Amino acid sequence: MKVANILLVVSAVMLTGTVVADSDVESFRTKFLNDDLRWSQIEDRARQEAEVHFYYWGGDDNLNIWIDSIVVQEMNKLGVKLIPHRITATKDVVDLALAEKNAGKGLGQGSVDVVWVNGENFYTLAQQNLLFGSFAERLPESIHYEWSDSDSRSQLNKFDFGFETLGREMPWSGEQYVCAANRELLPVSDTPNTYKELESWLQENPGLFTYVKPPHYLGNTFVQQVLYEMNPYGTGALPFQRNLASFTAKEFSELVRPGFDYLNRIAPNLANVSQGSPRYPENDAALMNLFRNSEIAIECQFGLFHVANLKRQGKMPDSAEEIILPSGNMIKNKNYLALIGNAPNPAASLVFINYMSSFDAQKDKIDLVGYPVGLDSWTLNKSQQDELDAVTPPHYGLTQADLDSNIAPDTNASLVNLIEHIWIKTVEQKGTQNIESLVETYMSQQ
Amino acid sequence: MNQPVSSLNLWLALLPATGLIILLVGGSALFVLVQSLGYAPGYGINEFPTLKYYSQLINNPGFGYSVWLTSYYAVVATIIATILGIILALILRKQFKIKPVTQHLYKYPLMVPYLVGIALVVLLFSQSGIVARVALALGFIERPAEFPALLFSHQGWGIIMVYVWKQMPFMTLSIYTLLIHRDPGLDDAAQLLGASAWQRFWKVTLPPLIPGTLSAALICFAFNFGAFEVPFILGGGFPETLPVQSWRLFNDPDYQHRLQGMAIIMFTFVALLVIFWAQYRLVSTRPYLRQSKTQ
Amino acid sequence: MSQSRVANKYRLTSWQWLFLATIGFLWLAPVLPLAIQSLAFQWHWPDLLPEVWWLTAREQTRLPIGWDYIFSPYSHLYEAFVNTLIIGVSVTLITLIICLPAARVLAKYPFKLKPQIELLFSTPLLLPEIALALALLIPFIRLDISGGYTGVIIAQLVPTIPYMIRILTSAYSGVRIQYEEQARLLGASSLQVFRYIQLPLLIPGIIAGCLFTFLVSSNIFLITFLIGQGSIETLPTLLFAKISGGAMDATAAGLTLVVMLPGVLFLLAVERHIQEIN
Repeated sequence: MKVANILLVVSAVMLTGTVVADSDVESFRTKFLNDDLRWSQIEDRARQEAEVHFYYWGGDDNLNIWIDSIVVQEMNKLGVKLIPHRITATKDVVDLALAEKNAGKGLGQGSVDVVWVNGENFYTLAQQNLLFGSFAERLPESIHYEWSDSDSRSQLNKFDFGFETLGREMPWSGEQYVCAANRELLPVSDTPNTYKELESWLQENPGLFTYVKPPHYLGNTFVQQVLYEMNPYGTGALPFQRNLASFTAKEFSELVRPGFDYLNRIAPNLANVSQGSPRYPENDAALMNLFRNSEIAIECQFGLFHVANLKRQGKMPDSAEEIILPSGNMIKNKNYLALIGNAPNPAASLVFINYMSSFDAQKDKIDLVGYPVGLDSWTLNKSQQDELDAVTPPHYGLTQADLDSNIAPDTNASLVNLIEHIWIKTVEQKGTQNIESLVETYMSQQ
Repeated sequence: MNQPVSSLNLWLALLPATGLIILLVGGSALFVLVQSLGYAPGYGINEFPTLKYYSQLINNPGFGYSVWLTSYYAVVATIIATILGIILALILRKQFKIKPVTQHLYKYPLMVPYLVGIALVVLLFSQSGIVARVALALGFIERPAEFPALLFSHQGWGIIMVYVWKQMPFMTLSIYTLLIHRDPGLDDAAQLLGASAWQRFWKVTLPPLIPGTLSAALICFAFNFGAFEVPFILGGGFPETLPVQSWRLFNDPDYQHRLQGMAIIMFTFVALLVIFWAQYRLVSTRPYLRQSKTQ
Repeated sequence: MSQSRVANKYRLTSWQWLFLATIGFLWLAPVLPLAIQSLAFQWHWPDLLPEVWWLTAREQTRLPIGWDYIFSPYSHLYEAFVNTLIIGVSVTLITLIICLPAARVLAKYPFKLKPQIELLFSTPLLLPEIALALALLIPFIRLDISGGYTGVIIAQLVPTIPYMIRILTSAYSGVRIQYEEQARLLGASSLQVFRYIQLPLLIPGIIAGCLFTFLVSSNIFLITFLIGQGSIETLPTLLFAKISGGAMDATAAGLTLVVMLPGVLFLLAVERHIQEIN
């Protein structure tokens, strides 16, 4: 009898224990989103949760070192153990979070807390209801970011690939798609500054250029910029800000056709021209290998300071310089830290993201890793601005002002996968389907 | 006095090992078969049975070229590895000063992962690699593009090089084992009767080796046909070899494509069965081959 | 006259010396550029030697590079090494336990389906890793054993069993059944027969089998990569992450040298045992 009683009590406690934990974390979320919590309460809860799982692209050694050493230390001071997970493709983490959600794991029960993300991956998270909620403007460190709707500079903080973030992700780094040229192979006078000029230059210098292939995000960005420049209506990036649903198949295919024709035209003149089919590198490491060994003369990737960073690591030719390509259409955006909807440690995640958004963390990041800051420098005081300038990497061959005057926005998140799909089918596989039917099929599957 | 072993004890002893193989290999093959025929409730697809995914796969642009490329790399590498293996095995049959060192050294590619071979080939044979730089220094070329595209092209010499590097030791070991189990007396007799080295090789040495060599070559062919990391890293882009293509399809968000990936895997299992059958025919009639095969 | 002609047949012709020299060169020479690459900070086309060496550069960089990075905690080399060890030892022990009884039967007792069973054990050699890994992945995900040691270890049993079985069968063939019978006649139990007769004679073969199986397991890449789903880092997966783009740098070169080490050590240590079994 006694044993039975004990068992009953224990099982009751265990049952209610789990139920209490679930509703406990849900009530935390509700209170947080209602602004019922002070930051100190969140920090207390974070210490209780004790861990945070951060998933991020692990392809940059310096980033890995900074996170594993300094960031882990700083988080320890706040009473939270940071557990970094290096991944090769953000899409895999999105799939993981989705699979867990489908397996019934709710808030407090998943394995992913924070993800370094932007663009169509964030869009997918939002569409699948995998986000915790609006937290960005509630963080103490959000004072360094522009949120005011009346200031157009707030756009980059509030819209990710044209899609409203609603504070569900916090800006972490600002970036721009920058190209570099090897001056030993390409003198200043011959440098193409638009894709049209690139095409004629390639005809005289075949094999000296290539681009990372979609579905890698660097490939997608290159293709998008081509579409901007080759826009038959001359409106650049503007129509690409619209959502997919606002297009008809005919309209969209008319818009993109000249761009894809261009990509097919230059394909025979890209790297590996001698063996027949062009070589599209899988990722930026492969592309940079071609560039630093003088196999190609121009390379393009996201990285406002990538020339300086790679020179510092001995991975750039000495004569490399930044160039403007293409004029007026160099995509500038931000990338973010998102808080996942079934995060096991929501309070610790908030504390972590808050730290990563702080002036000190942002300054360390640009100093040691060379990534541009995500915060808005006009919100800083003079001494902070000076500190930041002191550690900002230099530009080679251009000034920041040159780069600032040639920017374009991202493509709308809903269009990214479609454009990638069209490239794979018509440029890589040289399929015979026409673009309009591809778009139609894709739209019907949405 | 022999104690007869009960049949039950015998099968019990074999059960864990055979059971595991049958379960994992057979079970997974069954799973793949069923999926490729359209039964995938996890993806919300239940059209079992249908050949639709096989026909979609075959109609994919570049499928035929994929099959050709995969077979071409596998066959060429196997042939080269076999020829080199025969030559080295014949050398090892003789006595010479550095024989012990040679016997140790030639096997080392078997002891390291394929990735090491890939790393070496990338370092040496890319168009801006070490060999190309030596060619530049000797005045043969002026720019990287003038060096032949051995890697990252469909001609696939880089791929074939890694396969040969890995498999020549395997072929040598197999052929050498066959050689030393044969009676050398026949060879000596032929020489005493005045046969030249060339004649001895073709008429006396080689013929009995053929079944065993073929058996080992089939293993090499199977390895090459199913290899992933080598063509993935060193390949020439779309269309890619079948294993790489199956991986790409498996990762595609479109579930229809994933089932096509399963169809490719099924295709590989079937090819395996064919090779299995060929091996069986070779080996079952030649019991001496069974004991002499080592890796 | 005929004696010296027969004796000549045991010396190499000059073509054969040339062949041997070429193979030797091709096998050994690449290690030199690899070592140089691992010690280079800046080594681009067209330089035959690095423009800037690692030893100079490491004093000026703030974060560890090259060999410093490889042996720092940031490269995850230690975790990869430990995982490779854990998986290798587990796979070796499991295959040993399940293959011992099977090898004994195969070596000693002729039985009806013997050729078929032997061929069954050769099947995994013909099965591509991609087919096995993709086929097992979804069932393992359903059973919740993917992404961790369990799934990877179970999957690695398939390519390793053929090697263990083969080596153990050879080892058992060397244990004369007469010893066993004599011991039984003298009243020894099965356990005593195993412990005092079979085991000592088997031990060299068991050691060889274990070392070889461990080596095979430590070189497996694709199964760990796919079934581990990125959570299990081993030496091969670490190397793959570095060279998957088809590019070489100092860290990749250093890692390649590290990954080659187990194989080379094995070669030096066990070569004799393999010869004996042959």
